[in-house]
Amino acid sequence: MTSWDEKVGGEPADYGNAVLSANGSYTILPEPVKTFLCNFEAAIRNRNVYDIIQCYEAQFPKLTERFFAKYNWPATQVVTEIVSRSLGGKEPDQLFVILYTEMYYKHIYAHIAGGPSFEDREASYFNYCDFFNFVLGTDTPVTHELPYQLLWDIIDEFIYQFQNFTQYRAKLKNKKDEEISTLRDSVTTWNIHSVLNVLHSLVEKSCINEQLRELASGGDISAVAGEFGERQLYKMLGFFSLIGLCRLHCILGDFFQALKVLENIDVSRLDLYCNVPTCNITTSYYVGFSFMMMRRYEDAIRTLNDALAYHNRVKSSLAGRPDVADYVAKQTDQMCHLLCLCLSLHPMRVDEIVHAQIKEKYNEKNLKLSRMDLDEIANTFQYACPKFLSPVPPNFDLPENYQMNPMRQIKEEFISEIKQQARIPDIRSYLKLYTTLSIEKLAGLMNTEPQVLHRELMCYKHKMQNIVTADAAAAAAAEAPTASSSELDFYIDGDMIHVADTKVARKFGELFIRNILKLEDVNRALTRLDQFIYGVAAGEAGPQAGSARS
Amino acid sequence: MKNYLKKHLPYIYNSRYNPGNIEHLEKYIELQVTENVYDCEANLAVLKLYQFNPSHYQTNVTIKILLKAIANLPHPDFSLCKYLIEPDKLREEPLSSVVALGNQLETCDFEEFWQNLASTKSSIPAIGSVMGFTDSVRKFICHVVGISYQKIKTDQLCRILDIKRDQLAVYLEEYGWKLVPDDPSHVFVFNYEETIKTRNISEKIGFPQVKQLAPVLQNAASDCHKRAK
Repeated sequence: MTSWDEKVGGEPADYGNAVLSANGSYTILPEPVKTFLCNFEAAIRNRNVYDIIQCYEAQFPKLTERFFAKYNWPATQVVTEIVSRSLGGKEPDQLFVILYTEMYYKHIYAHIAGGPSFEDREASYFNYCDFFNFVLGTDTPVTHELPYQLLWDIIDEFIYQFQNFTQYRAKLKNKKDEEISTLRDSVTTWNIHSVLNVLHSLVEKSCINEQLRELASGGDISAVAGEFGERQLYKMLGFFSLIGLCRLHCILGDFFQALKVLENIDVSRLDLYCNVPTCNITTSYYVGFSFMMMRRYEDAIRTLNDALAYHNRVKSSLAGRPDVADYVAKQTDQMCHLLCLCLSLHPMRVDEIVHAQIKEKYNEKNLKLSRMDLDEIANTFQYACPKFLSPVPPNFDLPENYQMNPMRQIKEEFISEIKQQARIPDIRSYLKLYTTLSIEKLAGLMNTEPQVLHRELMCYKHKMQNIVTADAAAAAAAEAPTASSSELDFYIDGDMIHVADTKVARKFGELFIRNILKLEDVNRALTRLDQFIYGVAAGEAGPQAGSARS
Repeated sequence: MKNYLKKHLPYIYNSRYNPGNIEHLEKYIELQVTENVYDCEANLAVLKLYQFNPSHYQTNVTIKILLKAIANLPHPDFSLCKYLIEPDKLREEPLSSVVALGNQLETCDFEEFWQNLASTKSSIPAIGSVMGFTDSVRKFICHVVGISYQKIKTDQLCRILDIKRDQLAVYLEEYGWKLVPDDPSHVFVFNYEETIKTRNISEKIGFPQVKQLAPVLQNAASDCHKRAK
């Protein structure tokens, strides 16, 4: 065990003399880091949520950037010793040890060149098991309180590391034989059943679904919450686990289940449930994607549109968190791509600002998509889709790279769906030009037989029918209401096509009213300014003026 | 395996992910096929269990699931099933024939579908065993006709439904369609003239919006008065 010189501290410049050990960590620990560790432990032990937020969101990233940009944070045993010494020999809070370890491994995944080794991955997995056992393994709920952002990050990172491990396990081509045999033998590490079990256990323990149902119907939540569920820690872990399940089902290709687990949540009003921007954005991404795969284009467009508008609103508050900024930017970009894809399949009106953003950045892409350029569609899909996984281990006897297979499988299916819709944009563009049009004429324009055209028109109608119900369960029922909300609609009367287009006149009213009120404000400000300037001058001349008058 | 699940992963043991449940669910699918009922979620659960436990995969069961999904068109169940099945299996017989049938319906290639069905039925007996399959398909076709046509040629209708002229009366009764009185070569489906019309959405500025301007207009008005004096 390394012994630590507690008198040494100082700025990075002093560390020119510091000795780096084999794994690149400092043998002399900087003072600010020690202070941070003790403060963090105290905050957790004292259930001081505000201090925990300060440590976790502000100090940890700063210290990482300053001292550990390329190196590991100190190992857990070392940290435990330091904190224990500062507490006069007492054991540090157990939850602190677990959380610190989680942050230690998260840092390796995010910042260390080469990423985590197999041992790192396994140790991180066991640490998560410790965390979930700590929270779930008791008869009475734990009394700790943690900030929502931290809880969401734990669930998010847990699933991310699972995803990462599965991809790593599937890349067999360049691995050494001993590595492959280690993977083959480690059946329980990052086993998908364990991951599912954890998430479902959290959902059950917190009675979150019952609570959400009561919330939706305006009933009394505390009546159904149960002993664990009424504590914020469990309630929010339950809620975030639902989102985690949605994500998990989505990356396994089960889009129906992805939406079903969120059936008690109103996805369009996520900010009602919690104020964690990264959670809201991630949820909207997976929900929007699932809608698109279920051919519910209208719902997909609405979800993605709302998410992008929401992101515009919270962009400034996220600026203070550089560790999540990249991740959020990438996901938002993916959502833009998905939105472009959906809009090319099902043109619809969207938010003005979002529409302007897309037009600015992706004009060329949109042109290609609307022309059903299959390569462009495939590329857009590949960029925007989540990293799909297979739930089973790969064939260890045949060392190939299998990690792309699930994605290719889903992409292939998606493209074949698109191919079925290939003629629709052409039909749409011709129909836009007419109010009535004979089947023969359109067939001529499109270079097909009238009989084929009848079929293609029916296909158009069939594909553009969306299920219009917010309730996922009802949507699965045989009699779910469907409707087409395309702005362009038509019907066939014998041999004549009648086209109906919706023209929306430009709106001036709101713009004028807004500017009138603005001008009024400016005028008032000017008048006040006027009074201020001349009022002071009058004040200076005041005594004379006053005396003159008197 | 069973004891491991029970001890360490209680949720999995008690739930849809327990491979021990596969047999029960497969029996349920058989029931759906013979009794003409449908449970989308259970069928997707079976496909998911096959995905998690490839050694339990059964082609026969998968065929029946796909057929039931096709019968539930216009819902996207068929697509959802395909996402959960390995592409190699989808590309080979016998699944590839079933997929072809599904694709023909999805692209509304109805006449091809009926021809294909006749020839596929002999090679895949499972198709014949699904109760009410052809009825459900005809229901879907009528749905598509219902949303697309105000008036359709009677011959065309009979062709895409694969029925004889004399069987048409049943369908007309079911969906409230009528033969056009003076023109029996056409069937009247629905009066879309009333519902699908070009709309011009023009702006309406309501009083509540103008109310916001009341103080501004008041000031402006009094300013004007002052200056006029």
